[in-house]
Amino acid sequence: MLVKDIMTRHPILVAPEIPVTEVQSIMVENQVRHLPVAGDGKRLLGLITRQRLALSADELGSLNVWEITRHISQLTAKQIMLKKSQVITIDPDRTVERAAALITDHKISGLPVIENDIIVGILTETDLLRAFQIMLGLPMAGVRVTVRMPNRKGEFNKLSTVLAQKGWGVAGMGSFPTPRHSGQYDLVLKISDVSVEEVKEALSDIPDQTIVDIRTVV
Amino acid sequence: MATTTALDTSSITYGHTGPVLKLENVAIAYKVRGGEIEAVQNVSFEINRGESHGLVGESGCGKSTVAWAVVNFLGANGYVKRGNIKFLGRELTGRSGEDLRRLRGDQIAMVYQDPMQALNPSLRLGDQLKEVLTVHRGMADAEAAKRSIEMLERVYMPDAADVMRRYPHQISGGQQQRVVIAMALLNNPALLIMDEPTTALDVTVEAAVLDLIADLRREFDTAIMYITHNLGVVARVCSKVGVMYAGEMVERGIVEQIFKRPQHPYTQGLMRCVPKLGADKASSMLYPIRGRVPPPNSRPIGCVFSPRCDYAQERCRMERPALRTMPNSVQVRCHFAEDIDPSQWQPSEDVELPTLREVVVSEPILEVQHLKKYYEVSGSALKDILGLRPKRDVKAVEDATFTVQKGRTLGVVGESGCGKSTLIKTIIGLEDCTAGKAEFMGFDITCNISSRDIKLIKELQMVFQNPDSTMNPSYTVGQQIGRPMVRFKTVPKKQVREEVIKILQAMRLGETYYDRLPRQLSGGEKQRVGIARALASHPNLVLCDEPVSALDVSVQAAILNLLLDAQSKLGTTMVFIAHDLSVVRFFSDDVAVMYLGQIMEIGPAEAIYAPPYHPYTEALLSAVPIPDPTAAQKHIRLEGSVPSALDPPSGCRFHTRCPQRHFAPEGGAVCATQIPPWQETSNGHKIFCHIPLETLRTFDPVISHKEKD
Repeated sequence: MLVKDIMTRHPILVAPEIPVTEVQSIMVENQVRHLPVAGDGKRLLGLITRQRLALSADELGSLNVWEITRHISQLTAKQIMLKKSQVITIDPDRTVERAAALITDHKISGLPVIENDIIVGILTETDLLRAFQIMLGLPMAGVRVTVRMPNRKGEFNKLSTVLAQKGWGVAGMGSFPTPRHSGQYDLVLKISDVSVEEVKEALSDIPDQTIVDIRTVV
Repeated sequence: MATTTALDTSSITYGHTGPVLKLENVAIAYKVRGGEIEAVQNVSFEINRGESHGLVGESGCGKSTVAWAVVNFLGANGYVKRGNIKFLGRELTGRSGEDLRRLRGDQIAMVYQDPMQALNPSLRLGDQLKEVLTVHRGMADAEAAKRSIEMLERVYMPDAADVMRRYPHQISGGQQQRVVIAMALLNNPALLIMDEPTTALDVTVEAAVLDLIADLRREFDTAIMYITHNLGVVARVCSKVGVMYAGEMVERGIVEQIFKRPQHPYTQGLMRCVPKLGADKASSMLYPIRGRVPPPNSRPIGCVFSPRCDYAQERCRMERPALRTMPNSVQVRCHFAEDIDPSQWQPSEDVELPTLREVVVSEPILEVQHLKKYYEVSGSALKDILGLRPKRDVKAVEDATFTVQKGRTLGVVGESGCGKSTLIKTIIGLEDCTAGKAEFMGFDITCNISSRDIKLIKELQMVFQNPDSTMNPSYTVGQQIGRPMVRFKTVPKKQVREEVIKILQAMRLGETYYDRLPRQLSGGEKQRVGIARALASHPNLVLCDEPVSALDVSVQAAILNLLLDAQSKLGTTMVFIAHDLSVVRFFSDDVAVMYLGQIMEIGPAEAIYAPPYHPYTEALLSAVPIPDPTAAQKHIRLEGSVPSALDPPSGCRFHTRCPQRHFAPEGGAVCATQIPPWQETSNGHKIFCHIPLETLRTFDPVISHKEKD
């Protein structure tokens, strides 16, 4: 799963010279929180987020209400955008986990996806969360089972052998070290076209592995 | 116990899927002398990322106007009068020229019907492709060239690097259209507007281009606005479709829903005009929609379709219906959409329907044996001029043998350049024939028309594809139709006018048409006059060269019915050329399939459209777009284009592109060296192929219908 697979292609872009008032209405009407500013040929110039629209009190403090109106009407996208050098971007061929790391590390909520300086898409928290749902098989019906297993090589093989013998299809999968239990791993599987009983019966015989959670309604 | 069925993941989408283009209550007007005309009224629709939205309707319904409005190509007198056009959340109307120029270069791309008009004939293709990148993106030349070649490969262009060095005229029509599509996609646009992109192409090329469009839509997540009049094409490439009539959207929804259960009478009418390949001939009656699209300045007050609607009531004439959303989420603009049951529909009395005739077996009227037509080409090199090099020939028709029985219709199909038109031009005498025998009612017709007896000319008439260029613009309709009568002395001079009016009425044109000039007629009316002129001398044989391919579907249905009617009344024999296989099936008793001047398969129509087929016929059938999204069609695509007739392949002419060649003896080696035998299956059905009939019989039918739920 790479950035180019889950990003939003053809994002809404604005030109640097458009007034901020229009920027604001575009963001509200289309419910977007990130608006890349692009020059000729979709070249990235900067990024406008909701915070950039919050004009500082210092800046406006000395102005009276008429001057504020005039000041705002003269502002352009270029003046309020985060400059390109400060924008954190990602290449479409990077992995989704790297994108997620960039977002959490910088405490931001989205990344313009850039290929040779040209905007090819945008990746936001929402896109990552959507991919996360799909990864664990949320859109598909089936049995969701969490299997706890020791953190050592060959354990997954035991499980997959059982799946193979039964001929079951996996609609979603994820694994992570068990929280607060070092030495163990949890594996979440979404298995389609089976019943809870069938899954319980088949997986409970695997040595050293236990079912810690099983459900059909997610 | 292992299940082999895969999970259905088709509904899962990644990323944001909001609309790329959104039109809200758009009205488009043109300023003209003495006021303005609203060409498009109240059109609303949206296209999401990765979705292809079709717009269908007869010509003059405002489909292209909508597309032009999006890119602001309306011309000096056109403007968006009401409503909003939003592209990626931003209003498009009222933007500055510079802004729009940038948008068109970066995010919106267009592909039009004629690729030759989109390409500059005096520049190499490579330069034209690279320009997109160097101008809009400021990319370096070498990098742009690399990208262009990659994109040409993405559109399955053979030998992409070499194509970059060529000029537009050096590649075929289908390849030109691929270059235009590649050019449109170079900047990865969010919206691609395609206005009849495959209408000018052959079925086999069309099929390949449509496959390409479907592929690219998935890969680039591009939103596509697809304008066409061909319902079969819509069924193949679109996920949603809007039906437009007289500037309004009359029905809009998911393609499957609309094709399964059209709810607006106009949509139902359109479906009834299209010949269906799957159905047999007797049940595939065509019902044209009566009347025609009203011009924008004289639209009725009520429902725009009411004058042509079979269900129209008082309310329809008084009150304009609103676009309502039906329970199956299809939007329909009709007061009585719930009450209309298309299965109970009966054609109204004033609709032109042909009387079905019995197919009779009678004596042959036209017998052609081993007919050849070669065109000599002289090179421009010095050796050629001095005559030192042997003369070379374009073998346009090679060894054509067939007979046409009196009162029957022979359909001739094939890709362009396969010699269909040359064949009938030779029969009618516009071209000399090179070798072979051709007899018409016992007379030899291998000679040129200038040396034929006038009585023979009278018996052989022709209907042309383009009625515009075959009619003298300065003669009235009456004079044009009367001329053959006077010339052949079939009618005494005093009665000519009377006779012309009689024939005009037979063509459903009133007496008032007698004094009109061709420019005062619509396309369909011109073609009717063309047919009237061909029938004026009561000929025994009428040769039709693509008489309906330039016409709208509803007009096409009316013209086909008219020809059938004339045939059954006058007992005329016909040779009918078309590239549309469903039209030929509907119209013909016998069909001949031609490839590169050679008849590949000939026989009764029913036999041609069912196995065993010639591999070429099979490929042609699999390429035809079927107006039914539930019909399953075999996927056979021919590689490359038709080879040059100057130097046709040895052995079987089709062997270079034959997808079934491995079935032939010796693994297909024989195809390249030996001319195939004529294999006869039953009652005159013959196949020109090395593959044994037993093997050909085992092929599955190309078109199968999924079970109806």
